[in-house]
Amino acid sequence: MLAAGLGIAGGFVLIAQALIVARVVHRVMIDGAGYREVLPQLLQLPPLMLLRAGLSWVSERVAFAASAVIRREVRNDLFQRLLDAGPLCLKGDRAGEVATVIVDGVEALEGYYSRYLPHLAVMAMVPLSILAAVLPADWISAGIMLFTAPFIPFFTILIGRGAERLNQRQWQSLARLGGYFLDRVNGLATLRMFNASRREALMIAGISDDYRRATMSVLYVAFLSALVLEFFATVSVALMAVIIGFRLLKGGMAFQDGFTVLLLAPEFYLPLRLMGNYYHARMEAIGAAERIFSLLDTPVAPRPAAPCPLPAISPLRICFEDVSFRYTPDSAPAINGVTLSLASGERVALVGPSGAGKSTLAALLLGFALPEQGRVLVNGVDLAACDPDQWRRLVAWVPQRPHIFHGTMRDNIRLGRHDASDLDILRAAGQARCEEFIARLPHGLDTVIGEQGAGLSGGQARRIALARVFLKDCPLIITDEPTAGLDARSEAMVREALNELAGGRAVLSIAHRLATLEDADRVVVMNEGRIVEQGGYDELKAAGGLFARMVAAGEGP
Amino acid sequence: MRDIVRLLKLAWPHRAWLLAALGLSLATLLANVGLLALSGWFIAAMALAGISGVPMNYYYPAAGIRALAICRTLGRYAERVVGHQASLRILAGLRVWIYRRIEPLAPARLEGYASGDLLSRIRADIDSLDTFYLRLLAPVLTALCAGLLFIMFLWCFSPAVALATAGLLLVAGGFLPLVVHLLGRKPGARVTWTSSELRTAVVDGLRGMEELLAYDAAERQKERVKELNRRLLADQARLAGLSGISAGGVGLCSGLALWLALVISIPLVRTGSLSGPQMVMLGLFCQAAFEAALPLPSAFRLLGQALAAARRIFFLVDEPPAVREPHEPAPPPENAALSLRGVGFSYGDGAATLERIDLELSPGRKVAVVGGSGAGKSTLLALLLRFREYDSGSIILGGREIREYDGEDVRRLMAVAGQQPFLFNATLRENLLIARFGAGEDEMVAAARMAGVHDEIAALAHGYDTEAGEGGVKLSGGQVRRLAIARAILKDSPVLLLDEPTEGMDAAAARSLLERVFQYAEGRALLVITHSRIGLEAMDEVALMDEGRIVERGSHAQLLARSRRYRDMWALDDGMTER
Repeated sequence: MLAAGLGIAGGFVLIAQALIVARVVHRVMIDGAGYREVLPQLLQLPPLMLLRAGLSWVSERVAFAASAVIRREVRNDLFQRLLDAGPLCLKGDRAGEVATVIVDGVEALEGYYSRYLPHLAVMAMVPLSILAAVLPADWISAGIMLFTAPFIPFFTILIGRGAERLNQRQWQSLARLGGYFLDRVNGLATLRMFNASRREALMIAGISDDYRRATMSVLYVAFLSALVLEFFATVSVALMAVIIGFRLLKGGMAFQDGFTVLLLAPEFYLPLRLMGNYYHARMEAIGAAERIFSLLDTPVAPRPAAPCPLPAISPLRICFEDVSFRYTPDSAPAINGVTLSLASGERVALVGPSGAGKSTLAALLLGFALPEQGRVLVNGVDLAACDPDQWRRLVAWVPQRPHIFHGTMRDNIRLGRHDASDLDILRAAGQARCEEFIARLPHGLDTVIGEQGAGLSGGQARRIALARVFLKDCPLIITDEPTAGLDARSEAMVREALNELAGGRAVLSIAHRLATLEDADRVVVMNEGRIVEQGGYDELKAAGGLFARMVAAGEGP
Repeated sequence: MRDIVRLLKLAWPHRAWLLAALGLSLATLLANVGLLALSGWFIAAMALAGISGVPMNYYYPAAGIRALAICRTLGRYAERVVGHQASLRILAGLRVWIYRRIEPLAPARLEGYASGDLLSRIRADIDSLDTFYLRLLAPVLTALCAGLLFIMFLWCFSPAVALATAGLLLVAGGFLPLVVHLLGRKPGARVTWTSSELRTAVVDGLRGMEELLAYDAAERQKERVKELNRRLLADQARLAGLSGISAGGVGLCSGLALWLALVISIPLVRTGSLSGPQMVMLGLFCQAAFEAALPLPSAFRLLGQALAAARRIFFLVDEPPAVREPHEPAPPPENAALSLRGVGFSYGDGAATLERIDLELSPGRKVAVVGGSGAGKSTLLALLLRFREYDSGSIILGGREIREYDGEDVRRLMAVAGQQPFLFNATLRENLLIARFGAGEDEMVAAARMAGVHDEIAALAHGYDTEAGEGGVKLSGGQVRRLAIARAILKDSPVLLLDEPTEGMDAAAARSLLERVFQYAEGRALLVITHSRIGLEAMDEVALMDEGRIVERGSHAQLLARSRRYRDMWALDDGMTER
């Protein structure tokens, strides 16, 4: 609002300036006045010009500040909202897309708040005040202005809207052309495999040419709107000049008035013409706002209003009591009536085909979601009634593909204990068999690890995740096949580290391979959300059920 | 400077369009300045004529005013049309040029960029380069030409006014943008850097949310995002302030030009060396002349971006390809017998990725390579396809060292279905026909049938004309893989290389696919890289790789009997269900 006020004030200064200039010129030319007579007025001009420049600078800053507050709040709220919604709402690879909305989508609001909105007020007020200044001087010119002014917004909207659509379709197809190009670059390896890459260069040239022709045929028409706007603004000024000239010749008006009008006429049309430029900012912001609002509507994971304190946790005893869960109300249950217990000192392995509900069980135990039915009890207390943050302080989690954060190796390891000393960090790293490769890094613990763990092998990333667990030192450990796809040496190291870690704690590990089961006290076999078998490895193998079939398939014919 | 010369060279084929756009924008600018100046002169002269009663010829000036208004209007239109023509032509040229230059770099030299999303960067860089010509080069040249013409015109009436205006034009068009540019460089660089940090922090927060919650670190990440957000906006505010200064500054200069013109001409009018109407004309002329300087501040801002983009693109296209083609390639190989002897390869970081690999792959032989991820299996394929150069040992194809042949001749013999098959944003038909341009419909269908994907394609609403990729139908990983196999079959080459062909399929489907593939591969050389044990029993040889070496080899049965490591590596749920 302040920005709009400053813009309008700038308009007033402009009018004052024009009046003074016209007066000075009139006195010199018509009245034959010299320096001495016009000096006071001449000296008024530079301060006015300076004031106008100052106003434009301040209004730019103020407009930006308004949009900055909005963007800061929206961005922080979005991030907070997604944290509240929890990890399950980001399943699939939505993270990249969502991040784009948080970073770029919010950025797109800038033009709307800092340009479009303030300009709307300027557009309404500045031409009106110019009109008010011109009217007493020359009613014919005022009439021309009044008559032509509505055409400009009218045509901006009428032709602009059609053209906007055409334009947008055209820019979309240009974007598609860009997409085509990137697609081929993306698939260059494939194109080369089939010796098709050189042919494709001709295709790109040909398609670019087709697009250019199609685009231009639309732009010829789309630019007509600009032509009409330009026509009204420019021809009106020319018309006013000619009419004023003839009235002056006939002695029908004072030169000073005529000159004022001529000075102000282009300024009258300027805000109206600029509107077209800012219209685009509005379109962009509207598109972004839709995506932002849909993210802000992400349902928040439920939390107890008054969490009850956790019971003493040593030793730990966890019970799943007839637990069921589904991701969306209309999907099949991911977990269906699961009853399971786990205690300190016990290592339980979860096996089953993928989609059996193993990861969901882990997510429930981590408090990322609450059971739809049944309870998860921790030493007799319902987990749903506890503060999830407090509970998670007792749980360590090693996912199959641990996330490595952009930052130093030190910060990555001390994720759960930010105040840990280097001594503790190095001890944990040693226990997780990381020290050897950390020692090889150029800056040791200070080495910055790339985005999403670039530069680390899968085995190294998993050992860093284990180091986090060693450092955190808590009574319950959940792992998701920590040795899959590792080379023989890394696998041995990770297994050793895990065995060391397990002592005395409760361990739930999701297993995909027979080799992993050897260290487990108990094997729980899941299928389609239910527990179908559980018991010792040999016992289950002899039972002839799903587990026995899996083992047989694994050992091959 | 060298980069600018290179950029100009790239646009050389389109110089006629660029010059036309330049000429039109100059004409439009002159028409507007002329319109205002002539209007001012006209009304002043008419006023004097009205007072003195001396008749004046008003016909020509009035017609001139109207003509200039029309020129301005039409000029604006023509300028935009021609400008876009030039821009689109240059853009097309740039794309083809860049494509041609990076084509030999794929995939080896482009892999390093994968995480840094090379593609979106190339796209943004091409767009920045595009602005170089139209929003940077053209306005700067127009302003220079127009500025000279303006000064020459003013000089005829009053050298003092001409000098004053020249000075102010220099301030508005040169000094001010330069200062703003210099002051804005640091915050500008920080904005780029902070927003990429912010993006990383947000992506980290979302992708790593499980860990953040599990380790009670979400609050810290949130604070980091907040802090980066605050810093980003603070620097953007600095830039906005600077752009306010430059906008206000140009306005101030144009006002001062009018003022100085008046101050200088008032005594001249008194002495009679300048007429009153000429004074009015000069004043308006000086003020209007600053339209030429308006686009310059943003041109300066774009200069940095455009040059940085140009440098990145030049750096990329100037990289030497991973594999140097022979100057005088040997005639195409006569047969497809492949033999690897002691092949070694390293990515150059000291650690060997492949070491002493021996492998015989002649037509009629089926070989499988198995092993954990990172064992170097896929690198092996890159060597065979001449995407990478082996460091030691030899690869013999058709009796000669493989590096003696032209890469395209080698690849003509090999059909590949990669581990992460790439589908283009095109119809399924186009995606298949990449393998053999001009293959018949029946051949395509036969290949799709063999890969077990025909029925599923036929069941789609548009069949083979269904669009794949982004915006197209979402295909499952297994479907994409089978499409890639169909593509490889369609190519009909004597060597068939399959990387993880059965991943994401259930056991029955995997078995029946491999049976058909084995049947097709009868009499061809077949190399299968796999994590799955299905079909291994039919292989002539299975090689177990670990850390870049073949550690065990033999038939599936032999390895099962002999190697504990081999027995242990199979996933429990392998082949039990669709993953």
